[in-house]
Order: sequence, then structure tokens, then C-alpha cells
Amino acid sequence: MPMISMMFKKKWPLFILVLPTFVFMSIYLYYPFLMNIFNSFNTINGLGTASEGLNTPFYLNYINMVKDPKIHIALKNSMIFMVCTIVFQVGFSVALALMVDGIGRKAEFFRTVYFFPIVISATALGLMFNLIFLYKGGMVNSFLSYLGASGSVDWKDSKHWLFTAMLPVMWQYVGFYFVIIETGLNNISEELYEAARIDGANQLQLVRFIKLPLIYNTVCTCIVLAITGSLKIFDLPWTMFPNGLPEDMSWLLGTYMYKQTFIASDVDYGSAISLLIVVMGVIFAMIANKVFKEKDY
Amino acid sequence: MKKKIMSLVLAGLLGISMAGCGLDEPAKSGDTAAAPAGEEQTSENEAAETAEGDTSKGPVTISFVSFINGEDAGRRTLEKYLEIYEQETGNTVKESAGTADETWKASIQADFQSNAEPDVLYYFNGVDSDAFIKEGKVVSIEEIREAFPEYGSNMKEELLVPSPYDGVVYSIPHVGFWEALFCNKNVLEAAGVEIPSLDDYTWDQFLDDCQKIKDAGYTPIALSVQQIPHYWFEYAQLNASGPDKHMDIPVSIDDEAAGYWAQSLDDIKELYDRGFFPDNTLTATDDEIIQMMGTDEAAFCLDGSWRVTWFEDNADPNDFIAVFPPSKGNRKTTDYIGGISSGLFITRKAWDDPAKREACVKLVETLTCDEATFEWAVSGQVTALKNTVEPEGETHGLMDSIFAMNGRVTSISPAVQDSLEGNVRDNLFSNVKNVCTEKITSKDAIQEMLDMMNHN
Repeated sequence: MPMISMMFKKKWPLFILVLPTFVFMSIYLYYPFLMNIFNSFNTINGLGTASEGLNTPFYLNYINMVKDPKIHIALKNSMIFMVCTIVFQVGFSVALALMVDGIGRKAEFFRTVYFFPIVISATALGLMFNLIFLYKGGMVNSFLSYLGASGSVDWKDSKHWLFTAMLPVMWQYVGFYFVIIETGLNNISEELYEAARIDGANQLQLVRFIKLPLIYNTVCTCIVLAITGSLKIFDLPWTMFPNGLPEDMSWLLGTYMYKQTFIASDVDYGSAISLLIVVMGVIFAMIANKVFKEKDY
Repeated sequence: MKKKIMSLVLAGLLGISMAGCGLDEPAKSGDTAAAPAGEEQTSENEAAETAEGDTSKGPVTISFVSFINGEDAGRRTLEKYLEIYEQETGNTVKESAGTADETWKASIQADFQSNAEPDVLYYFNGVDSDAFIKEGKVVSIEEIREAFPEYGSNMKEELLVPSPYDGVVYSIPHVGFWEALFCNKNVLEAAGVEIPSLDDYTWDQFLDDCQKIKDAGYTPIALSVQQIPHYWFEYAQLNASGPDKHMDIPVSIDDEAAGYWAQSLDDIKELYDRGFFPDNTLTATDDEIIQMMGTDEAAFCLDGSWRVTWFEDNADPNDFIAVFPPSKGNRKTTDYIGGISSGLFITRKAWDDPAKREACVKLVETLTCDEATFEWAVSGQVTALKNTVEPEGETHGLMDSIFAMNGRVTSISPAVQDSLEGNVRDNLFSNVKNVCTEKITSKDAIQEMLDMMNHN
């Protein structure tokens, strides 16, 4: 006890304790981040190769970014993914959690089932959905054919790609938010439900007046996580829609940054795009925090 | 007080352990690859001294990367000779293989740039290898022969391919390649189309044949425009330029070469416009599309010699033949694309490691010995061997047609795309689909490529 009280009186032991983590973060996060900003002003043709000097003008990549139609597509798609993430991932999670909350002991089974996709690697999921949506002999087209449909549907063409890309991403993360929200629901005191029932509240009223208000803060956290997460989506879309497939329509900020950095070897432009992702992430997280302000109940 | 001291000591230990993560292992001699130019000689001397003093000749693990993956004609031979090597030497080969597309090439470059390169690499010896040669990350044949004079001595010296970067030979050439038009005889017969002539098969005849095949309800050409338009571009370009000017690369949009290149994109567009490609050519992968040849859904596919194994494994090779692709303009039908565009490199990192040096040399020698190369060239590929390749055992219809085709060749041109830098090539081939769908014109695509070349 005297030790703890002394630690709170004198701050320097606390500084020493947090120092290693701070140093670690500085070396592996803040320094690379600052270098990334610097790199975006340079000409670097290849990962690990030295800079050939500053661009002329030094902000050339940012001018190119404004003119680059593929960045516009990537931005638009990332925004669509963000909105869909909030509506479908968080929305479905809330709905599922509310339904499972009333099941009782069997809830554990559903918790495992819904959470399972998170455990599988995104690349494996991408390959699995590639087979599901395969043009010839894919599960969906075979089923449609069984139902009497003539011809196969190209699920990756310009008309269908958004649905095909969105579905696995939404499906994968519903379980993640479901578990968070379910935990929030479990923390609601049983006494509140009992009191409401004595007052004559039915199941819908319990949801409307007790459950939803009390998980509001949890949902807000999920929304902020979903927004920042949607800007970083890369692996699953890249496995299913590499190189902007189809016809450069499916670029996301993450996939376009990868393409520029690792395939086109335009490292400085890739750095500029990654900075854009960070800036957008910060801005949208701040907006989300303002809009979905946590409330005290 | 004791607890306070203890907490400070623990915090200090935590910091030291984190900072010291990279200091546990002694510096490896292989790390000289990353040394600045001025320090390189010293590091090499140190490595040499270490080599002299090294008495341990125990088994080592060699990392080997290639593009001889599951579909490659040489895959079985590679596996066989890797096993022989492991049995003979006791060494272990940690092998990985990928499809030789731009993504794979980029990953290899990234490995070199982050000092994570393999010990032995089977890779392209054109401009694709410029970046790591420029960085001094692979060892020249000349340097290897100072220690191992017999290295690569079973190969013809004139066929050792010098680097376009500095004219020095770094790789032992292995088997070469050819690119040809594979035809599905069942589909041709069902569509009432004659098997293309080996001596004279024109572009117009080909268009007529494709139309007949399409009218009969089949897909004329198995091609993923979005992923692998490379082979069609190469032949369309050879048709436009002829063998003499095939290797000319555009410098400005108005020069002759730019005209040939734009023409080749327009020829591919014509095939797309006439509906000769699969319905999902803009979205499917090459792996998906090639299945159409095995299931008698498509008639033609233009591919390289490495595709032969796929036909042997996935279909009856007697149902297929290989012929020269259709000719047009300045190319005779019997002029084809081929050559030796790849070879085995030993990396500087492995060479400077005394434990691995001899093991790497032995691995390359095992994979390029006459017997291995003979087996590797079973699909009729060109080799650099001093001895000639004799076909052995029973062959099949496809193989017979390959030998017949190779016997009629009038000129062999290398693939011009190998002269382009990776990002330029990627840009050009990414734009093939955009030309087909009229998002840009063929001239726009060439201009974009020129802009990228200038940016480089």
C-alpha cells in the first residue's frame, strides 16, 4: 500500500514503466510513419531502394492523386464499404445479439458460430468465396442452374462485383461486433428487466427502452472500430478482386496502395496513398466520435 | 524501498530485453549483402577468411525459389532432382514456387530489397533481374568459376545470357521456351474446322475458323484478357513488326515501333469485339479459363511450352496439337517466339556464407546436369547444353506435333516484353482490357506506357 501511494505521489516511476513501450512504439510506429510522410515527397522506385531525390515539385504525388481516376474510384468504393460496414456489420450484429440474448444457455452455441469466420484467415475466406461465386461450376451458379436458370452469372462482372466483394467482408466481421455487443447486453442487470416486466413491459419494449439505450455506448465503439477498419480493408478484396477487377472498378484505398507500392514499385506514390488512408481514418474517427458521443445512463 | 528497487530493475530489464532483441545472434557473414559499397570488400574478405577457417561441412538448409510451380512442365523433374540432391548431399532444400506473373516478380524484388532473398533463385535473366544485379546481390559466373572451374561447363558458352544491365553473365541458363497455339482437336472437328496448317496459317483464316467455332456454340479462344494477355500481345506484335523489328521498343508515340505495338493491341481488341474470348474473360483467372480446353469447351489457347504438363495431367494429350500461331503482315507463320529467358542465380548472401557456398553450387549443378536438363526439355524446349536432347520413350500426339513444329521453325524471336521494366509491363498489360472495352485507345495505352518509361 505505501508503495502504491508513493507511486501516485511521485510520477517518475510511472514514466520509467511506460518508457520501454514508448520507445518501442516510437521505433516501430511513429518513426516509420514520419518516414512515410517524407517518402511521399521523394522519388523511390522500388521497396528498400534509396530515394532518387525530392519530387519536382515536392508535392507532385498529391497533385497526381487529385488527377488519378483510380484513386477517385478507390475513395468512392472505400466510402461505400464504410457505410455498408456500419449498416450491415454493426446493424446485423445488433440484431443478432438482441435475438441471441433471449435464448439463454444456448447463446454460447450461436456466439461460437457467429464468431467463427473471424478465426479463419481472410485469404482462405477469399479463396472459399471465389469457389462459391465461380463462373463455371461455382456453388451459387450450380444452385441457380438446379433451379432452372439458363446460363451462368458472372458474379465478378461490372454489374455484380460490389455485392460479391461486400458479402464476404460483411459476413466475416458480423461475428466480431456481435460478440462485443452481446457482452454489452450480458452486462445489463437482470433487476432492470424484472422491474420493467413488473411494470408490464413486453419483449419489444424491453429492447426499445432498456437494451438499446444501455448498449448505446458499446454500439458507438463498434461503429468507430468499423469505420477505421473499413478504410484498411485489403486482404479479402485483394484475394477475390486483384488489380481492380473488373475493369479497374473495385479498387479500394488499401488495394490500390498495395498495387502502387509492391507491383508498380511506385513507393513514393504508395506512401502518399497510405498517408491519405491515415488522414481519412483520423478524420472519420473524429466525426464518428462527435456524432456518436458516449452517453451516461 | 526494496520493492521500489525491484520494480525499477524489472522495468530496466524489460527495456533492455526489447532493445536487445536483434543482438542475440552473432552477425552472419551473409549480411554483407546489405553492406554499403565501401564496406563490401572488407566484408567479403572477412567472409573468405571465415570460409578458410571453417571446418564444419555438416548438412545445411538451402532456400530455393522458382516459378516452376505445379502446372509447369518441369515440375516433376524439379522435384525429382531436388530429392536426388538432398539424398546425395544430406542438405535440405526449402523450396517455394510461384506463378511467374508481375505480383510474383514484385515479391521476389521485395525479398531482395529487404535482404530476405533465397540462396538459389530460378529467375528471368532479362531486365527483370536488373534491380538485384545493380545492387550486387547475385554472383557472376566468372566469380563462381574462380572457385569452381567446372561450374556450368556443360552449357554452350555462347548461350550463357549476359545481363542487359552490365553485360556480365550471372545465371546458368536452363531450358528455354517456345510459345505456340494449342488446338483442341475435338472442338475443331465438332465445329467442322480443319487443323491449322503448320506452314501457312493466316490471320484471316484464323478469324474465319474462330467464327465457325463460335457459330457451332464453342468458345474459340481460351484467354483471360484481364490476367494473361501477354502471349497474344507478343504474337500480335511479332505479326505487326516481323522478326527483324520485334525487339524495337517505342520511344515516342509517333515512331514506327509505337505503331506496331498499337496495332497489336488493336488486333487483340478485334478478337474481343468479335466475341471470340470466353464470356468472363474480363473477370476470370487464367486457371479458370484454361479448364475450358480440358472440358472441350474452347478450341485454341496461346501459351508457352510449360503448358504441356497441364494437358498431360488434365486431359488426353492426344486430343491436342501445337501449331504456329496465325501470321499476318511481316511475319511468316513459321517464325515463333522462344529462347532462353531464365536461369539459375546464386545470391551473394548465400555465396558469402561459407557453410552454404558449396551447397548452392552443387544444387545448381544438380539441376543443370545433362540428365536433368534432358528431362526438363521433354516438351521440346531449347536448351543451352553442349550435348543434344534426344526424345526418349513413348510420346503422345501433342508431343509429336511439338517436334514437328520445332522442326519447321524459320526464326526464333525472344519475348519483347522481357525488355520492359516490371511496372511498365504491368501497366501495358493492365491496359489491354481497357483497350478491349474502349475505355482508352491503343495509342493512349502506348502513350501511358511511354510516360511510365520516362518516369522510370
